Amino acid sequence: MKKITFYIVIIIAGFLSACEKNLDQSPISASPEENFYAQTSDFIQAVNAVYSGLAAYPDRQLNLSETRSDNLYAVSDGGVRDWEGVNDFYKTLAGNTYVTEAWQSNYNAIFKANTVLEKLSEKGSVISDANLKTRLEAETRFLRALFYFDLVRWFGKVPLIDHTVSAAEALQIGRSAVSDVYNLIISDLQFAVANLPDAYTGADKGRATKYSAKGILALVYMTRSGPTYNINGPGLGLSEWDKALAQLNDIIASGKFSFITSYPTIFSYTNENNSEVLFDVEYSTGSTPVVGGTFPWLLVPDTWFQSQGKATQGGLTIRPVSTNLLNSYEAGDTRKAFSIQSGFTYNGVTETRSFFKKYVDVSKTPANRLDWPINFIVMRYTDVLMLKAECILHGAAGTQADVDAIVNQVRARAGLLPIANVSLARLMEERRKEFAAEGSRWHDLVRSGLVESVMTAFEQTDDVQHAMQPFQRNYIIYPVPQSEIDVKQGLYDQNPGY
Amino acid sequence: MRCQQQLRKGIWLFSLYFLFALLQVKAQNGKIISGKVTDDTGKPVPSVTVQVKGTNTSTSAKNDGTFSIPVTTGNETLVFSSVGFSEKEVPLNGETSITVKLDNTKNTLEDVVVIGYGTQKKRNVSAAVVSFDASKLDERPVNRVDQALVGQMAGVAVKQTSGALGKGFSVQVRGTGSISAGNEPLYVVDGFPLATAAPNTAGNYANGNPLDNINPNDIESIQVLKDAAAAAIYGSRAANGVVIITTKRGRSGKVKLDVNSYAGFLERSKKLDMLNADEWIDRATEMINAQWVASGPGRTADQTNEQRRIILGLAPGAVNTTYMTDDRWAQPGHPGLRFIDWQNEAFRKGLTQNHQVSASGGNEYVRYYMSGNFNRQEGMVINTDYTSYSARANVEVNASKKLHFGINISPTYSISNDPGVEGKDNILHQLLSMTPVQEDTMGLYPNIGNNGQYKWSNSTNSPIGKLQNIIGLTKRFRTITSLYGEYQIIPGLNFKTTVNLDNTDNNSKSFAPYIVASSLATRQAQLTAQSSGSYSSYKKQTFVNENTLSYNKIINDVHDLSLLAGFSYNSDKLDNVTLKSNGGYSQNNISTLNAATGITGSTTESRNVLLSYFGRVQYTYDNKYLLTASLRRDGSSRFGQNTRWGIFPSASVGWRISEEQFMKDIPVINDLKLRGSWGRSGNYNIPDYGTIATVGLYNYSLNGASVVGQAPTGIINPDLTWEKSETYDVGFDVTVLKNRISASFDYYTKNNTALLLNVPVPLVTGTATWLSNAGAVKNKGWEVEVTSRNIVKGAFLWTTTANLSHNTNRVTSLSNDQSQIIIPSAYGASTQHSILRVGDPMYSIYVVKQIGILTQEDINKNAALYGSETVGDPKYFDANGDGVIDLNDRVIVGHPTPNYVWGITNNFRFKGFDLTVLTQGQWGGSIYSLLGRALGRTGQGFTDNPLGFFRDRWRSPDDPGAGKVGKAYSTFGQIANTDWLYSSDYIRVRMITLGYDLGRVIKTKKIVQASRIYITAENFFGHDKYKGGFNPDATNTDLSGNSQFPEPGDYGGLPLPKSLILGVNVTF
Repeated sequence: MKKITFYIVIIIAGFLSACEKNLDQSPISASPEENFYAQTSDFIQAVNAVYSGLAAYPDRQLNLSETRSDNLYAVSDGGVRDWEGVNDFYKTLAGNTYVTEAWQSNYNAIFKANTVLEKLSEKGSVISDANLKTRLEAETRFLRALFYFDLVRWFGKVPLIDHTVSAAEALQIGRSAVSDVYNLIISDLQFAVANLPDAYTGADKGRATKYSAKGILALVYMTRSGPTYNINGPGLGLSEWDKALAQLNDIIASGKFSFITSYPTIFSYTNENNSEVLFDVEYSTGSTPVVGGTFPWLLVPDTWFQSQGKATQGGLTIRPVSTNLLNSYEAGDTRKAFSIQSGFTYNGVTETRSFFKKYVDVSKTPANRLDWPINFIVMRYTDVLMLKAECILHGAAGTQADVDAIVNQVRARAGLLPIANVSLARLMEERRKEFAAEGSRWHDLVRSGLVESVMTAFEQTDDVQHAMQPFQRNYIIYPVPQSEIDVKQGLYDQNPGY
Repeated sequence: MRCQQQLRKGIWLFSLYFLFALLQVKAQNGKIISGKVTDDTGKPVPSVTVQVKGTNTSTSAKNDGTFSIPVTTGNETLVFSSVGFSEKEVPLNGETSITVKLDNTKNTLEDVVVIGYGTQKKRNVSAAVVSFDASKLDERPVNRVDQALVGQMAGVAVKQTSGALGKGFSVQVRGTGSISAGNEPLYVVDGFPLATAAPNTAGNYANGNPLDNINPNDIESIQVLKDAAAAAIYGSRAANGVVIITTKRGRSGKVKLDVNSYAGFLERSKKLDMLNADEWIDRATEMINAQWVASGPGRTADQTNEQRRIILGLAPGAVNTTYMTDDRWAQPGHPGLRFIDWQNEAFRKGLTQNHQVSASGGNEYVRYYMSGNFNRQEGMVINTDYTSYSARANVEVNASKKLHFGINISPTYSISNDPGVEGKDNILHQLLSMTPVQEDTMGLYPNIGNNGQYKWSNSTNSPIGKLQNIIGLTKRFRTITSLYGEYQIIPGLNFKTTVNLDNTDNNSKSFAPYIVASSLATRQAQLTAQSSGSYSSYKKQTFVNENTLSYNKIINDVHDLSLLAGFSYNSDKLDNVTLKSNGGYSQNNISTLNAATGITGSTTESRNVLLSYFGRVQYTYDNKYLLTASLRRDGSSRFGQNTRWGIFPSASVGWRISEEQFMKDIPVINDLKLRGSWGRSGNYNIPDYGTIATVGLYNYSLNGASVVGQAPTGIINPDLTWEKSETYDVGFDVTVLKNRISASFDYYTKNNTALLLNVPVPLVTGTATWLSNAGAVKNKGWEVEVTSRNIVKGAFLWTTTANLSHNTNRVTSLSNDQSQIIIPSAYGASTQHSILRVGDPMYSIYVVKQIGILTQEDINKNAALYGSETVGDPKYFDANGDGVIDLNDRVIVGHPTPNYVWGITNNFRFKGFDLTVLTQGQWGGSIYSLLGRALGRTGQGFTDNPLGFFRDRWRSPDDPGAGKVGKAYSTFGQIANTDWLYSSDYIRVRMITLGYDLGRVIKTKKIVQASRIYITAENFFGHDKYKGGFNPDATNTDLSGNSQFPEPGDYGGLPLPKSLILGVNVTF
């Protein structure tokens, strides 16, 4: 019997020593961060992950810019939709899903970008190709600038985070002045301009180029040259039209881009990465995990897809194009029919209202509604030309004839006759139709100083349901998401008017 | 790995030793004691367990009450115990033949309760432990162990959250203390602590509920350790209480064969009041006319459809359903239309049956209990059913006087069919809101196959068609095995080791053919591309090895000391496989994925290890003063290096004041014990690798092809540690009036601190929240349990058992000095309705109050409006007085957990009849029902069928209805408000069982020892206040859309099944 006791003691002793080590478990189906950033391909993948932060960028432009502007009249259609408050200037937008998304996605992408930049300086020595290392840094800084530019246009003052921060540290960082945010944006973009290649070949097509950076930099200069409206918005009233024009002229002079003469061809599913594209958000279909887009159906009523014999796309109900926009098209403007579907009949019910279907090639409807293949163009060559015209009208070098020539080139493509002595208002009106559904309308209104007059007039003519709140300057930017205000009282001040 | 090798070696050594020891068993020298056991009327009592005190020698009395048992000296004490009788100890004092009379006026304080790692006499328990004698469970139809607990124990709130078959219940011991780390107790079956599982955000157990497939008919008893003093021996998993389940064992004696069979039907216990087809037409007509009038100048409600057609410029025969009604609505007999009550079409009467055979018996060397069970239920909804097969073998072997070992093994297999009935946008929700008017030509199958949809109908595919065509099949095979050996090193000192494995293999298959998907045009254009299917499986394994050393000694007859020390190793492993069709099927009559045109799939694995050391001291002085103290140290692989160990102490004291001389003079009090306890336990329910930073996939596309992207998934808190729960409990147990009435009372406070809370952090960190130890919740309450044997003499006997518990919980702090967190909603800001606010109950309901209907006078007086509200729309309370209604006007209007939960069981016996009635209920809680919202919201379109309360809606200033529901056509949208708030109060006669002892008519006692037939009505009577759904306790849908603040709620839960069942129990 002594033996038994002996065995018991042996077993217990052996057991205890072995089992404590078993408490060190590491993930079986996930990769620990400490093993990552060990080779060149890890860094390329880390930068790809920063690009993936763009995935919701197109949807956001449609939800927050297009929907808020005079292009859409998306008031209640019986149900309750998150876009309703955006369209109707609700005061309570701080809890709005789209507003929160804008803050969340951009800062999440900035977190990824900051991580890459830190890891590049810590462990970047594993990248033997010095050019590649610099390019990766430049790509990351370009993207970080784009995310901050997006933030500053929606929210004005935002916290300025240029490194990864712990929860405790984040609780000490309030919102920075708009000008400080621009400083980071511009220095990032200048670095990108200096270090990104002119173009890519093969599988790298779609990455940011020097000219992507120049285009965005020009728009940044122009945006902060816009009026201040006496709010802490994206406009600083600086007069940097010359600086912007210099960048735009570089792009034009490079000869890397061209003006595609057929409007639909620019958006063709079979003509992606074409010569109009300075930078786009890229998608493709059929991969796992999904790398396709959702923006094509975002403004399209579900029943339309069904009327075309296609599966439901989750586009919910219609977000109608405003009568104001419909009426603004001149007769013969070929862009109208391409961008807008006016009415359809499904199941015996005739929908008379119109909606944007610019990105939808119904024959390319994917099996998975979240997996559309078409890229979303962030900036295209026509934009570069029209921004140039805008700079000239604001006093940068150039003549009225240059402006008229640019506008008439665009009009000719749309099947319209030339016009002369194009004013700023007229230019913006041309932009409205050229870039309809591309998410630029609200930014254009704000930058040009027209937002107040245009939106006030729009409400008088188009708000037949009296659903919209009267426009105020405060509505130029959105509120800080309530979830952020709630994290710690007093950390962030709320934008006035909300 | 090394650990498992060690373990294997250990098991091997033990096996070898047992074999060796078995060979050493030989006949004992000594004497044989014989005797007879009778009840107080002198009738023999069969099957009484007779044990030689302090040894493992035992036997069981025969049918005539006689027994014989070997003893060594003849001066031992024999212990007689039997269900329904008080345990009795008889010193032999040299006698070899004795007659023992057992007292069948049982004192419940003599019961033995199972506590963690041992047993204890109930009278010596100084912590809050509540017991449930489950041995009679096979005398009523019960499908799950958790079902049996409903209404039985104070402080244990059991909610049937689903009416679907085979689903787990929600069990909450003393309220809810954790915001995001789960509130379900730890289950221990025959000493085997099963892996804890918290329901997912939708309230379902995606990877199984611990009680799945455990056959309730095999259960002997259930104890719930409520306070930390009792539960702390289970340390880090005990914060939500511990439920200890003991299965039946064999007793020495003749083979006892039990057959329990029942069959009956089940059906819905409730129908939801929706508008009928005529009422729907009335409302639709009103809304279409209103839409017409609002659509332009010169348009009036009295214009005919033909006039409207002309105004709209439509071709002859063309319609616009927004502005025109169906001409047939107004025609007598509505030719060509069919009026459908979808609920009646989907619900049915289903058969339910259960058959169990068990055999038990044994001798002084081997005792066994074996059972086999077949259970089949057809659901109350067509095409749903559940079938299970289970078996159990519990075998104990006395290898020698010092050594015994045993094995419990229970393989089970279950198959359930459920095409997806409960939850948002699933079949039940859809059939409720399905338009009750349809084309006659399509019958019950609008928008299915080649049928289009009725123009005025919503676009839902016929729910009946879905029920008949969608496959949702789950097969589960689970085996729980425990192997144990116990060795007496010296008298009083025992070493016990157990090796346990719980293995579940679960696979689910689903298939939805294209004919029930999408719209007619799409179906016809794409055919099989609309078919979809999936296959998923999980394998869950829990391995536990526990080793304990226990010592019991009574010194000088007054010092009763028990010591326990032990350690345990616990490993949980989960493997998941999911496969899904991608892009439809190539063939229509194949439901497996080989016919899918594309498949996406993945597998994942995770594992966690828990290592524990524990010890306990129990000391009783002179049966008067009771002291228990325990300590457990747990280390979990879920936490980081520096924070993984936690210490969980407890202590409790008791004073059996009735044993004092001064109390003996008060004859009315038979027993009185005062108790007090304190303890700390923990909660570790976080993901397995919650403290390890990982990188995730964030792929992008370049030049038309996917490229791999990887980045950190967020910031990680490496210092994460245990959630702590500290409980103070005071109480007393009393037995009065010749043991006629016994009662227990407890008052407790439970402070949960260092919550495993997903603390919101600024999004600038890249993450919305991070898991942190922050915040605190306090639960306070009292519980009372009374058992009263009202009538004990004569032919008519009556016993009442009642329990009532009261609990309140308060959030006492959040992180970063936050005063509140508004819980997000999965369905947008307009359905946001919950808040965590310091000083208020967890998940308090936070919405705008509706205070009536807007009149013109209100509007003239500038009443606060929400958006574009007009006359006839709801009037809301302007809480902040700023003249407009918006989200800033939300106030707390209720909380989800009820204040009071109660249950009463009455048991009557008259001659051969027995009648048991279990009534239970709750009050003081609220439901914020998103189903109620879906079925009755402002701005709802006319196609969906709404709740019946729309009958009494506002129609005009002259016909304002009941003053609660505004006009049908409203365009202002919606804001979360008290419209969708319901009281969760209910009272329910859960069970009525009437049995008759057939032994009175069947006299062939030689074969049949006992037999009984019974009829049971479950859920036949009841009342609740939940008009927006079927079941006030239902949870089936993720309301917050956020795993950090799980908020399961009702978005289409089935009613409880009501059943009428005939059964028979026979003992051979």
